[in-house]
Amino acid sequence: MAVAAGGLISLPAWATNWTSETVQLTHPFLTSGQDDLLADIAETIIPTTDTPGAKALNVHQFIQKIVTDCYDKSAQETFRNGLNAIEEQAQKAFGKPFREGDTAQRTALLTQFSQSTEPAQKEFYSMVKGLTVRGYMNSEYVMTNLTHYQMIPGHYYGCVPVPAKAVSQTK
Amino acid sequence: MANLNIDARAQNTYDAIVIGSGISGGWAAKELTGKGLRTLVLERGRDVRHVTDYPTTMMQPWEFDHRGQLTKEVKDANPIISKCYAFYEGTQQFFVKDAEHPYIQEKPFDWIRGYQVGGKSLMWARQTQRWSDFDFDGPARDGFSVDWPIRYADLAPWYSYVERFAGITGNKDGLDTLPDGEFLPPHEWNCVEKHFQQQVASRYKDRHVIMGRAAHITKPQPVHLQQGRAQCQHRTICERGCPFGGYFSSNSSTIPWAAKTGKMTLRPDSVVHSIIYDEQKGRATGVRIVDANTKQMQEYYARIIFLNAAALNSNLVLLNSTSHRFPNGLGNDSGVLGKYVAFHNYRAGISAQYDGNLDSTTDGRRPNSPYIPRFRNVYKQETDFLRGYAAGFSAGRTSRANQNGIGADLKQNLLNPELGGWYVGSHMMGETIPKETNYVALDSAQKDPFGIPQLKISIAYDDNDDKMVKDYQEQMTEMFTAAGFTNIRVRDDHRNPGLDIHEMGGARMGKDPKTSVLNKWNQLHTVKNVFVTDGSCMTSTSTQNPSLTYMAMTARSADYAVKAMKKGLV
Repeated sequence: MAVAAGGLISLPAWATNWTSETVQLTHPFLTSGQDDLLADIAETIIPTTDTPGAKALNVHQFIQKIVTDCYDKSAQETFRNGLNAIEEQAQKAFGKPFREGDTAQRTALLTQFSQSTEPAQKEFYSMVKGLTVRGYMNSEYVMTNLTHYQMIPGHYYGCVPVPAKAVSQTK
Repeated sequence: MANLNIDARAQNTYDAIVIGSGISGGWAAKELTGKGLRTLVLERGRDVRHVTDYPTTMMQPWEFDHRGQLTKEVKDANPIISKCYAFYEGTQQFFVKDAEHPYIQEKPFDWIRGYQVGGKSLMWARQTQRWSDFDFDGPARDGFSVDWPIRYADLAPWYSYVERFAGITGNKDGLDTLPDGEFLPPHEWNCVEKHFQQQVASRYKDRHVIMGRAAHITKPQPVHLQQGRAQCQHRTICERGCPFGGYFSSNSSTIPWAAKTGKMTLRPDSVVHSIIYDEQKGRATGVRIVDANTKQMQEYYARIIFLNAAALNSNLVLLNSTSHRFPNGLGNDSGVLGKYVAFHNYRAGISAQYDGNLDSTTDGRRPNSPYIPRFRNVYKQETDFLRGYAAGFSAGRTSRANQNGIGADLKQNLLNPELGGWYVGSHMMGETIPKETNYVALDSAQKDPFGIPQLKISIAYDDNDDKMVKDYQEQMTEMFTAAGFTNIRVRDDHRNPGLDIHEMGGARMGKDPKTSVLNKWNQLHTVKNVFVTDGSCMTSTSTQNPSLTYMAMTARSADYAVKAMKKGLV
């Protein structure tokens, strides 16, 4: 009913011509090899299961965009150095690039970074993980299919019973 | 040649000129055109048309390159505006960037501005409370300012008039501190807000928690539908511009209404330099502008002029309108122009948790929140500071995901958040005392990009504000504790004046031309055809959000102006 009232207003063309591919980098900050590595790290943090993981949702592109456009130089350095450190450690730990490690190896390596006594490694991991979670949760796929974001709720009910199973479920 | 000049002058002549198209300028335009006056509306910024010029209004969160976050480039280039709560990736287009209009901070002041058709009415927080007689009587009683030349009764019918047109949601609460208005149905409370309301009511006879009164159409009336506006859809992304016209803005309401009369000429990109005063005629004859694109000077003429450039810019325009008769600024015989500027103090806040009502939650979003009207020093002076504060209040519940782990476990956690407990919060809205030492003036050397002197701003908090912050924190802590809230945290963010976006005064109203700039009709005491009805006219600041009062004053003043014009008085 309320939404129908809004429909009386004609919206301009751009309002309906939404595109999902908005993450385009103006000044790429990482090399394509580093970008691939970042995609694999993000995918290790949030993998494909019965729903798409971080890589399929282009979360790594989002991460690169934020680091490039919103972070200062020292954070960018921490980030770049962290990527290099991951590759070095991968060579040491399982004798091949991170990309070629299996899930258990990759997970172990990232876990090691998360608990590292080296502040730079720890900082790198928490940066990548935070951005991966943010990019994933704010992706179109997750917001529309899994968390059912409503652009126009059309109401506010102040006191509703807590549903038996509160929030959205994976499909 | 002479004839050509006369033609040119005739072409640039209107019945009325309105300077500014924001919340008060829009009303001036609507009222003057509605009464048949050919009206020129000058706006220093670009045109922003309802719906078509709201580029981010339908964008989904994932469509923003940085998911709403400001880039480092924007933040570095705009240290002032970046502090504003409403400035983010989706609203950047509506705020003045720091370099666009430089000013001098004699003391730190974060000047938040919106230069476009509609001004800040596009991005405002939409709270609309009436003033009461406690507010209008206050200065005379406390002696901290000059007496207001008007009282609540002068404005009451005009409050009703603008409320009906703008569309104000609220509840009739029957409080003498906050008169009721012409309300559309109120927004809903949630359980914890209700709980707090009841707890406060049971303990204090003079403290009230009410639903906020806000410029949202909760139930459209014919007059709103005629404006092309529809019911509020609870998107709560209002500051990007609302395609439904669900909240009041000049863009969705007063400006198109004025345009429909066929009497309005809107001239965007027109930076007003000064008001032209004719010594022989003893009146203002027009307005001098700098075209923002060509940088050319241009003059426009009219019988009456409404100055609605927003508080500090209206001071700037008056101060820059000099002549033999008025060497210190138009209508400034008293010397008070630019002085006694005051603002609201939003420094303090409080937050807490509540462990009750766990069986209920909320659904949807609400573009409004409950409100606690001023309760300090109302009926008598009871503290060691003057005046008081109102407060915003709200409660909510969030669902939190456990972000531990990595891989499939993390993913599972993220998609199955747990509903957290209730959080509650409040922020203060304190009245500051207009003082001579809080002033704006023109800098004699530095000019802005249009060759107009830069504004020097010298405004600061004082002891009274510090004491008020402390009292707010103590009283709210007491009320929160009584309501059973836990983990109570108070804050004082020591923000700079200005960030509350409620600067007022400088061209204050008063009975005596020796101590004020404007009379009871918002008319310059000494230049009768110039009316100033934006925030610069304010004699004191009260604790209420000021916009509704500007709207009511503008409608009242325009009504007077047209009648006076017909009688040949202006």
